[in-house]
Amino acid sequence: MSLDLSVVVPLFNEEESVRPLYAAIVRGVEPLGVSFEIVLVDDGSRDGTVRVADEIARSDPRVCLVKFRRNYGQTPAMAAGIAEARGEIIVTMDGDLQNDPADIGELLARIDEGNDIVVGWRHDRQDKLWTRKVPSRIANALIAKVTGVPIRDNGCSLKAYRACLIKQIPLYSEMHRFIPAMASIAGPRIAEIRVRHHARQFGSSKYGLSRVYKVLLDLMVIKTVASFTARPMLWFGMLSLPMLAAAALALGWTCFTLVSEGRMSLSIAGTGVIFLTSTVMLLAAGALGELIYNLGDLREHQFSGLTQHLLVRGAATHE
Amino acid sequence: MSDFDSGKVDISVIIPVGGRHAADILALYADYRAGLQALGSSYEVIVVLDGPRPEVAADVQRLLSSGERISVISLTRRFEEATALVAGFQRARGRIILTLPAYHQIRGNEIGKLVRALGTADLAIGRRWPRAGSRFETMRRDAFHRVLAAITGQRFHDLGCGARAMKRRVLEEINIYGDQHRFLPVLASRIGFKVLEVELHQSPLDRLEGTYPPREYIRRALDVCAVFFLVRFTKKPLRFFGMLGVTTFVVGAALIAWLTIDRLAFRHPLADRPALLLSSLLVVLGMQLFALGLLGELIIFTHARDIKDYQIDEVVRYPVPQLPPQLPPSPQGAGRLEAPPPRARVQG
Repeated sequence: MSLDLSVVVPLFNEEESVRPLYAAIVRGVEPLGVSFEIVLVDDGSRDGTVRVADEIARSDPRVCLVKFRRNYGQTPAMAAGIAEARGEIIVTMDGDLQNDPADIGELLARIDEGNDIVVGWRHDRQDKLWTRKVPSRIANALIAKVTGVPIRDNGCSLKAYRACLIKQIPLYSEMHRFIPAMASIAGPRIAEIRVRHHARQFGSSKYGLSRVYKVLLDLMVIKTVASFTARPMLWFGMLSLPMLAAAALALGWTCFTLVSEGRMSLSIAGTGVIFLTSTVMLLAAGALGELIYNLGDLREHQFSGLTQHLLVRGAATHE
Repeated sequence: MSDFDSGKVDISVIIPVGGRHAADILALYADYRAGLQALGSSYEVIVVLDGPRPEVAADVQRLLSSGERISVISLTRRFEEATALVAGFQRARGRIILTLPAYHQIRGNEIGKLVRALGTADLAIGRRWPRAGSRFETMRRDAFHRVLAAITGQRFHDLGCGARAMKRRVLEEINIYGDQHRFLPVLASRIGFKVLEVELHQSPLDRLEGTYPPREYIRRALDVCAVFFLVRFTKKPLRFFGMLGVTTFVVGAALIAWLTIDRLAFRHPLADRPALLLSSLLVVLGMQLFALGLLGELIIFTHARDIKDYQIDEVVRYPVPQLPPQLPPSPQGAGRLEAPPPRARVQG
């Protein structure tokens, strides 16, 4: 049973929001005339979220509820929802009613134009300026610069993906903010549209400034891993080049003094040997990396769904 | 070696018999049997012989020939207790899994307390209390549990107690092997199961003969390290190794820079300075640590679908009325999603 669309919504202590959210999604998606399901993921809420969501699921078979045993965070919640989703297109959004499901139609339209990922841009963001908007601006500029994926608003959860793409992307830790960057290893076409953004109606925000440090660390990890994943041998080879140079220098000098003066410095010879050892170890690590990569999920052919789609589309415009 | 009934039982009792076991298995079994029968639920007993144990096998044979209904699994070599538990679990049919030690730790009549604790918890572990033993033993044990608590944030008091009761799904979802059985509570509560410590009276026969050999301390320390990585850094190897590696690298590089300046500005010859060795070692060490972190991250990154960092409690899908429900489980959810309509519920 394949559906056109799955709407994945992580929920954490959103008791009051669930019903209006469900109504808004149905209102936004039904007129589009696509078959759809709503995947609600309860991220270990401690209030009545599960009860309300269960009632909704009972009244509407299009709604599926995934329950976590405890709170794991937004990224695992999204990953679970995406894994459970059966639609060909997956739309993710926040459970706090700040995203407007009325924008889903626009997202789908852009996917139909041949894009693989469509991200929302909260151009008129309804949040506090100094604790939310300014840090977000800086972070987005940084993320765009480092990852090379020019998106103005990585923090916006309202995004649409082709299922064959997003199901292959590793989602762990706090990676949901970087999905477009992560997905860039598959070479998708990404579009950005303006979406509405509402002020929070119920409950309180679950984020604060404390996540800045984590975002920065994750960013570094992603940058490194994304550039290195597909060719570990090359990467480790590059890493070992300075070592090799140092080794050559030290050992060369040792040989030179040995020949010309008949003696050598133990320190310098030792240093050379250490660096040479390290070169070999790094190259071995690279070989190990190749092995790991070849056993993993991210080999190019895993994205063949995407490639085929490209071929069918023919000469799609480059963005 | 035998399957008696094909039906379900309430409790599966798994007794792993390792290197340390009671001299009189028959008395131990009789004690446990009295406790189990007092529960009033149906049960099965699975004895797992961890490696060839001829002396125990003879006793078990005697039990079998006297008409006791026991399944015996005999492992070809010693695999350690956790593996033995898993082997036993694979044959267990009970809703509740009860593990009991192969020597007198607790009295058989205390088993009921453990099983009843499952009313509120997913995993109930025994804590022998009040506890006999020398002051040194108490201190040693206390230190071990304190270190573990500092690392994992979970304070347990007697992880060495082999009496544990758990709902079936706990063992279904946890991957343990070797001698990780000790850390079952730590791993279980990490993936969201509720763990309860139940105070049980210690058997008067439970006392340590001799002391632990030093080898045992080393193994324990390594175990703690393993759990530390398992709990803290499984999903973020580059954060840990990367930070460590970069720090080491920077220290080494700074030292080299200083040596270079010293050589150029003050003409201290580089050749007879052991500090050069130290600094280059630091640089290399930092590089290697970073490379290790990168490899770890690569494993996580390319295998993220297999190494899930969340556990789904249940997936609720109500079927469409009238239409026959067809719910092919999605490949990603496979294993987690046990979805028999009308209500897809995964429960223990």
